[in-house]
Formats: sequence, C-alpha cells, structure tokens
Amino acid sequence: MDASNKGGGKKFLKEFLKGIIITNPVFILALGLCPTLAVTNTVNNALGMSAGVIFVLLCSNIIISGIRKATPALVRIPVFIVVIATFVTILSLVFEAYFPPLYESLGIYLSLIVVNCIILGRAEAFASKNTVLLSIADGLGIGLGFAIALIMISFLRELLGTGGIEIFGRQLFELPGLSSYPLAFFISPPGAFLVIGILMALFKLTGVIKDE
Amino acid sequence: MLKKILSNKAYPVIFLAVIVIISVSLLLLISSITSPVLEVRKAEETKSTLEVIFPEMGSYEIEDEIYVIYRDGEKEGYAFRATGNGYSGEIDILVGLDTNFKIKGISILSQTETPGLGARITEDSFTGQFKGMDLSEVALKPEGGGVDAITGATISSGAVVDAIRDKMAEVIDELKE
Repeated sequence: MDASNKGGGKKFLKEFLKGIIITNPVFILALGLCPTLAVTNTVNNALGMSAGVIFVLLCSNIIISGIRKATPALVRIPVFIVVIATFVTILSLVFEAYFPPLYESLGIYLSLIVVNCIILGRAEAFASKNTVLLSIADGLGIGLGFAIALIMISFLRELLGTGGIEIFGRQLFELPGLSSYPLAFFISPPGAFLVIGILMALFKLTGVIKDE
Repeated sequence: MLKKILSNKAYPVIFLAVIVIISVSLLLLISSITSPVLEVRKAEETKSTLEVIFPEMGSYEIEDEIYVIYRDGEKEGYAFRATGNGYSGEIDILVGLDTNFKIKGISILSQTETPGLGARITEDSFTGQFKGMDLSEVALKPEGGGVDAITGATISSGAVVDAIRDKMAEVIDELKE
C-alpha cells in the first residue's frame, strides 16, 4: 500500500474490470481452453470449476504479491508452483470431503488447476510485480471473467444437449420438445469447440471484443 | 543487513525450503480435518449398499474383504465383492449370502455395458434370479445352471455369473475354515 494508494479505488476498479472483458481469459486470451472444454458439459460443473479457479487465483495472487520482494528471481517459478499447488490441494481435499458428487464429476481437472496457465500466468505477469491490493483486483477480475465464460458456454451446451438446466440436483427448467429429442452432440467435446467458436465470433461481430 | 541476506547464494534454496515446509504443514493440518469426514462418509456408503441386500441389518464387520452382517446381535449373513470382465469393461458386483451359504441377493455396483443390451444386467429380472441359489446352481442354463441369460447379452450375463461363482467358491472355502 505505498504510492499506488492514491486514487487506489479507481485503479482497483480498472484492474478488476479488465479481466472480465478486455482480457477475458477464455474469449480473448484463449487461455485455459483444456479445462474449459472438459468441464462445460453441465452448468453445475462449470460453477464448481469457476469457484475453484477463483479461490486458487485469488489466494495465490495474494500470497505471491505479498512475498514478491523476498522471492529470489532464480526460484520464482518453483515458488509460484508450490504456492498454487498448496491451494489446489486444499481445494481438492475440501471438495472431496464436503462436495463428493462435484469432486467426482470434475475429476482430474480439479487437480490440473495447478498447471492452469491462467493462474501461473497471472502470478508471473501481474502478482509478482504489483501490490497485494491490485493483485486481489486482478485475481477477482480474471477469475470472474473465466467464470462468466464457463457459465455461458455450459449454459448453451447443457440447454441444447439435454433440453434443460439442472443445478445442484434440481431441475431449473426444461424446454418441451428439445428435452425429448436433445442434440447430444453439444455435450460431447466437439460440441464445446463449436460453442466456444460461435461465441467468440459473436463477440467479435458485436464489437465487444476489439482489436488492440 | 536485508540486502546482505537477499544476495546470499544460499538464500534462494533456503527460501524455497521454507515455502515448502509451510505448505506441507498447512496441508497436513487440513487433511487431518477432512480425513475423518471422508471415513465416516465411506462407511455410510458401504452400509447403504449392503442394505440393498440386507434391508434390516444392524451392523457389519470386515474380515479379509468379507463383510459379516449382524442383525439384532446375531449373524445374518455375509457379503463380498466380485469383479467380472464384461463386454466393454469391468463389472463390479456385491453378493450377499445367508448363513447357509445360499445367495440372499446381488447388486451390480458399477458396469459399463452397452445400454439397452448388456446394461440390463442391473435390472431386477436378471439379478432376482440369483436369490436362494447355492454354489452349484450359479451357471447359465445351457451350462447346467439356473440362470437365464439376457437375450443379446450372453457375454455380459456370463461375465456376471462367472465372477460370482469363482469368488463365491473362494469365499465359502474361507468361511468354512
């Protein structure tokens, strides 16, 4: 909290908002596509994965920016990995004990958050160079951007692929007709590519995504 | 003073070691909180699968992978797991025996057979046939046993029967000792 504290609120907001639209990790940076493809088959999985990534990203950003002045450049990547892996392990222990169905459906992708390039990327590119406060804003923004992307993709995939949306074991709604003849293709991995591609194209078309 | 520490050659190694030690102790702490929760849940899961076969069971004990079922303090029967090689993967079966070593019931715990064909091994019309059988009857009808195979799913049906018969023989031998 040194010089950057001046007009801190504004800067905080700027770093926070940037992750959601301007540098949205999935639609703009196209990072972390592997877990995105794998866990967006249901809205439920997408919510669980988003919560996990936001938790790990926020915690690792806080710790890494907190120790940035003491961290020797020589071992910074191993330090980042240990910090991130610690939070991922905590997350998977907690999920396994308290949310077993979610733990099973996320499967290996939960532990693979360790090598998620979004999180390591934020640690290297942002948290290791900025204050704790700004790193919190960055983590929240990028995390939320990731969550919004995941939820949009999974909403479309589950809706088209099963004809309804089910969250936490409760059926939210069902489209008559589509639920009797669902387009199962959208639940399969190729369907994920298609949905992501179409969403990216739509954003580009409407000008939400701008060329830099 | 601070600069001197930071420029020491051993500093990166020590720093990394400290981070690892903090991380490990934190994880040990958390796993000591979550592991009892996990154990309780696993025990509950085992009990609810056993209750499918022994609906009025009281408690159970595990001896050499054989579950011994008690009801009102008396032995009600035994249960064991058998694994068969089906048409497209492993079939996990829970088998319950009464105290005379006759089958009290079976339950398919997991399978990856073809939906509509082999996957019908989970239906009552198939699993119900085993009720009351002793070891010699556990075979498909053409092989001299008493089990009707599912039409179009002879391999899946046979896998279940073979897995139960082999493991059941083993378990009875062990229990008779």
